[in-house]
Amino acid sequence: MDFLGNLALGFSVALTPFNLMMAVAGVLLGILIGALPGVGPPSGVALLLPLTFGMDPTSGIIMLAALYAGTMYGGTITAVLINTPGESASVVTCLDGHQMALQGRAGPALGMAAIGSFIAGTVGVVLLMLVSPALARWSLAFGPPETFALMLLGLTTVTLLAGDSPVKTYISMVFGLMLAMVGFDVISGDARFAFGIPEMMDGIDFLPVAIGLFGLGEVLAGAETAKSGALVQGRYGLRDVLPTAQDWVRSRWAIARGTVLGFAVGTLPGAGPTIATFMAYTLEKKVSKHPEQFGRGAIEGVAAPESANNAAATGAMVPMLTLGIPGSATTAIMLGGLMMWGLRPGPLLFEKNPQFVWGLIASQYIANIMLLVLSTAFIPLFVRALRVPYAVLMPIIIALCVTGAYSLKNSVWDVGQMLVFGVLGYVMKKLGYSPAALVLALVLGPLAERALRQSLIISDAGIGIFFLRPIAAVLVSAALIAVLVPVVRWIWAARRRASAPAAP
Amino acid sequence: MRGADRTAGAVLLAFALAFGAGALKQYAYWAPNGPGPAFLPFWLGVVMALLAMLLFVGALRAKEPGDDWLPSGEGLRRLVLVLGATVVYVALLGVLGMVVAMVLFLVVLMRVIDRCGWPLTLSVALATAGSIYLVFGRWLKVPLPTGMLGF
Repeated sequence: MDFLGNLALGFSVALTPFNLMMAVAGVLLGILIGALPGVGPPSGVALLLPLTFGMDPTSGIIMLAALYAGTMYGGTITAVLINTPGESASVVTCLDGHQMALQGRAGPALGMAAIGSFIAGTVGVVLLMLVSPALARWSLAFGPPETFALMLLGLTTVTLLAGDSPVKTYISMVFGLMLAMVGFDVISGDARFAFGIPEMMDGIDFLPVAIGLFGLGEVLAGAETAKSGALVQGRYGLRDVLPTAQDWVRSRWAIARGTVLGFAVGTLPGAGPTIATFMAYTLEKKVSKHPEQFGRGAIEGVAAPESANNAAATGAMVPMLTLGIPGSATTAIMLGGLMMWGLRPGPLLFEKNPQFVWGLIASQYIANIMLLVLSTAFIPLFVRALRVPYAVLMPIIIALCVTGAYSLKNSVWDVGQMLVFGVLGYVMKKLGYSPAALVLALVLGPLAERALRQSLIISDAGIGIFFLRPIAAVLVSAALIAVLVPVVRWIWAARRRASAPAAP
Repeated sequence: MRGADRTAGAVLLAFALAFGAGALKQYAYWAPNGPGPAFLPFWLGVVMALLAMLLFVGALRAKEPGDDWLPSGEGLRRLVLVLGATVVYVALLGVLGMVVAMVLFLVVLMRVIDRCGWPLTLSVALATAGSIYLVFGRWLKVPLPTGMLGF
C-alpha cells in the first residue's frame, strides 16, 4: 500500500537529526511562548517564521507545527497556576484548572492536560493522515469557482468565532482584503494603490503585518498594566504531576470526546482551537453525572478542553494543506510561510511535494511524544519561566518583533510597517476588532481575487456560475448562512435590548 | 467606546468611499475579457461603506457611553513611553546599527519604565542583543543594519 510507503518516506525525513532537533526546539519554544502571557500562538509563529527562511521548507514547517502544538499545552500552565490564560484556547481551562491548583492539585491538572494533549494530538495526526489525501484528491476537481467559494466560506466563518460584534469583525476582514489589493495586479499589471512608492508596488507583506498586530500590538496592550499574577506554589516533580487512577477513570471519556470534537471543529475553515475548547467544555458538562462540580475543580473540565485544543490545532492543518485555506489565524500565518517558501498549498502539494507533506505528518507524531516527555519532565522549569517579570519580557519581545520584520527582506520599510500595524493592533484589540480576521483576509485576498476574476471570465452567466456548479453552490450557500447567522443573532439581541425596560 | 465607534464609523465611511471611487477612477472596472483591476476594490469599498454605516448608526443608538478605551494616568504614561521608545529605536536602526540600537532600547525601557536594577538590565540587554546577533546575523546571515560604528 503506498500509504505505508508515504509514511515511511515521512519518517525518513522527520528522523534526520536536524529535523528532530527542530521538532524539539519547536515544542520547547512553543510551551514557553504559550506559557508567557501576552504572546500567543499567532505571535509565536509570526516571530519565528523569519528564523525558518534560511532552512529547508520541510524543516521550517516541522518547527512551526511543533511550536503550534507546544503553545496549546503552554497556555495551560499559566491558566492553571495564575488563572490567566497564556492564549485564548486555554481560557476555559482556567475555570477548573485554577480551582484544582487552589485545592493543591495543580500537578494532576497539568499532568492530565499533558496526557490529554498527547492522546488528542496523536489521534489527530492519524485522522489528518487518513483524511487529507482523500480530500486533496477530491479537491483536484476544483476549478476557480469552487476555489473562490471555498475561500468565501473560510472568510465568512471567521465571524462565527469572533467576539461580540460581528460588524467589527467584518470591518476587520474587509480592511484586510483592501490591504491585499495593494500592489501589482497580476492580470492587468496595474500597480494599485501604490502611490508611486516602490515598496508598496510589491504589495503589503503579511509577515510584518502579523508581527505588528499580534506581537507588538499585544505587548502594547500589556504595557499599560504592570503585570504580576499570584503564582500558586506547589511541587511539580514527575511524581506530583501523575494523575491518580480515579482522575484517569473520570477523564478518559472526556479526552476521547474532546479529541473527536476538537478535530472536527479544527478542520472547519475559520473555526479553530478556541471554539473547540468552549464546545468541549460545554459538552462535558452536559454529559457529566455531576455537573455541579464543574467550575469547582472537576478534572474533566481540564482534560476535555485541553484535548480539544490539541486535536483542533492538528485538524486546522487539514484545510491548510489540502485546500490552501487556513483554519485559524496561526495556520493563516503558516500558510503565508508556505507561499513564501514557494510552495503552493492545495491539492497538488500532496503530489508534488510528498516529502514535505509526509515529513510534516511524521514529525507531528514525534512532536507529540516530545510534548508528553518535555511537558511532564520540565514543568518546574516552565513554572520558573513564569516568574520572569513582564518588564524584562516586554522589551525582548519588541526587539524580536523589530528584527523579525526586518529580516524578511532586509528592509527598514517593513519595520516601519510593522510599527504602524502594531499601533493598529493595539487599537483594534482595545476597541473589539479582530486582528485574526484581518490577517486571514490579507493572506487569502490575492488568491480569492484571482479565483473570482477567473471564474467570471469563464462564466457565461455572470455570478450565476457560483450557483450553477453543485460544489460551488453548496459552499456559497454555506458562506451566506455564515453571514446571516451573526446578523440574525445581532438583530435578535438588539430587539431584546430595546424591548427590555430601562435599567433602574 | 460609543464615541470611538462613531469616530471609527465616520472615518471608515470616508475611507471606503475614497477607496472605491479611487479604484474606479484609476483603474478599469471591466477589462475586455472579464473583471478588471478595479472590480473587487470597488465592491470592497461598497461593502466597507455599508459596514461603516452600520457601525455608526449602532453607536448613535447606543444608550450608554461605555468605558474609556484609552488608559489614563500611569497606564497611559507607560503606553506612551513604550511606544515612543520603540519609534526612536526603529528610527535609530540605520544610524547606530541594529545591535547598538537594540542594547540602548532594552536598557532605556528596563531602567526608565520598570526601574530594574543595573545588573539585571545590563545582563538581559547584552544577552538578548548577543543572541539575536548570533542567530540572525551569523546563523541566518541576515545583513543587519550597521551604524556609524560598523557593526
